[in-house]
Amino acid sequence: MLAVIATAEFKLKYTGSVLGYAWSVLKPLALFTLLYLVFGRVFNLNELSPYYAVSLLVGIVLYSFFADATMLGLISIVTRDSLIRKIAFPRIIITTSVTLTAGMTLLINITVVGAFLAYKQITPQLDWLLIPLLLVELYAFTLGVSLILAALFVRLRDLQQVWELALQLFFYASPILYPIGFLPPWAQKLAFLNPFTQVMQDIRALLFYPDVASNRITAAGAFGGLGRVVPIAIAIGTLVVGYVYFRRQEPWFAERA
Amino acid sequence: MTVGRGVAVEVAGVGKTFLLPHGHRTTFKEYFLHPFHRTAYERQQALSDITFDIAEGEFFGIVGPNGSGKSTLLKVLAGIYRQDAGTVRVNGVLSPFIELGVGFNMELTARDNILINGTLLGLTRRQINDRFDEIVAFGELERFVDQKLKNFSSGMQVRLAYSVAIQVDFDILLLDEVLAVGDQEFQKRCFETLAEIRRAGKTIVFVSHDLGAIKEHCDRAMLLLNGSIQAMGDPEDVLAHYDALMHRDAVGPI
Ligand SMILES: Nc1ncnc2c1ncn2[C@@H]1O[C@H](COP(=O)(O)OP(=O)(O)O)[C@@H](O)[C@H]1O
Ligand SMILES: [Mg+2]
Repeated sequence: MLAVIATAEFKLKYTGSVLGYAWSVLKPLALFTLLYLVFGRVFNLNELSPYYAVSLLVGIVLYSFFADATMLGLISIVTRDSLIRKIAFPRIIITTSVTLTAGMTLLINITVVGAFLAYKQITPQLDWLLIPLLLVELYAFTLGVSLILAALFVRLRDLQQVWELALQLFFYASPILYPIGFLPPWAQKLAFLNPFTQVMQDIRALLFYPDVASNRITAAGAFGGLGRVVPIAIAIGTLVVGYVYFRRQEPWFAERA
Repeated sequence: MTVGRGVAVEVAGVGKTFLLPHGHRTTFKEYFLHPFHRTAYERQQALSDITFDIAEGEFFGIVGPNGSGKSTLLKVLAGIYRQDAGTVRVNGVLSPFIELGVGFNMELTARDNILINGTLLGLTRRQINDRFDEIVAFGELERFVDQKLKNFSSGMQVRLAYSVAIQVDFDILLLDEVLAVGDQEFQKRCFETLAEIRRAGKTIVFVSHDLGAIKEHCDRAMLLLNGSIQAMGDPEDVLAHYDALMHRDAVGPI
């Protein structure tokens, strides 16, 4: 059922406009080009590392997934009010399927990253097999956030603007376009409480291992030893909280959405 | 009067009150400006103290003027709305929909819509594939399966929707004013399928303004008015009651 709805969403979003589909791939690339020119060239962050550009691209692709999925997730229930007023089925399918749709776009963008890696002549390593696991963790966190937002938006109708703003802050607060090494140690620890930052830094560390220090700073580095456990627990906790809250609010979606 | 043995649906003391939109739609702004201020709710009592049973295999009709609570009652039965008083006990599998064509998208083909709608109604992809030809044949839509739904007339859409709906496996079918748009000939075939569904021992709850159909097909009927049961029992009696009520309203001041 999930697959059918996610595919239908995907089809609907992009049928009628091949451009529509191209745009979902191009949007992160356009953002990347802009930020690369400003921060890589004008502010010379490029000189820090031969991998600055592709490392920025990885960050933007992951961020675009998180932003798109949570935004689609937030509106998923309210915009389908006519559907949920007419039929009883587990509402969680709706929110899950829109985040999966964003996931399909992420997979396509990952192939673009792959092309950059090939261009940079980075040879694949065996430990890259950990990357899918990290993406699963990011997905779990994203789904948890989306479930909370979807249920809250039914009650708080200005949540969309608030979340748009929050995503902007999230972008600049996460070490996407500046190396995490720029932050003082206490701020690094704070940043690594966010599963997104942990996943992004782990993926960068796996991809660009022989790079300067900052790409190698991971949650394990910041907290020491089992440091990764903290953000991973936060990701799982977010999913659990999201699931429980969503299920508790679900009986009233039809009349309030 | 009752055809089957057991009780299919048991409704006891059900009430439902809606908080009107401005009552419960809060914004962050309000939370920050007036954190302790409680909004005065405006309430709309849609159902009060509804108690009745439907027997297995019964064809049960519900009538009443607009806004009397018929759709709300079906939605509570289907689990779309949660009642705030009383209990609903259902014996068997309910059809999850009360209207037809849920999830239909005008930009997609009939084929895709059958897949989406069927999926929403709980059919597996395999079941849909197996029953696809039957669905299309019943709606007499063979020539149109690969056309976008926006090119369908509303009658054709109802035909498609109904054809999918009757493929769903259920014990109790809830229908809320669904056959109004189809042509005579199609309506006749629909009632034939409904009769077949009953012969299979299944229960039908049928909301309609088509009083002739209620009289002809229902075993029992119920009249709702302002969220309360006004009359229940033999369709003839219930419709007579309804008629008297409407007549009185039409003559006297409202
Ligand atoms: N989601 C809702 N929010 C607020 N009021 C509602 C909602 N759904 C129904 N109502 C109100 O409940 C009453 C009964 O409506 P309904 O069950 O649709 O009547 P009917 O189907 O008999 O025409 C109406 O006054 C209607 O305005
Ligand atoms: Mg109605």
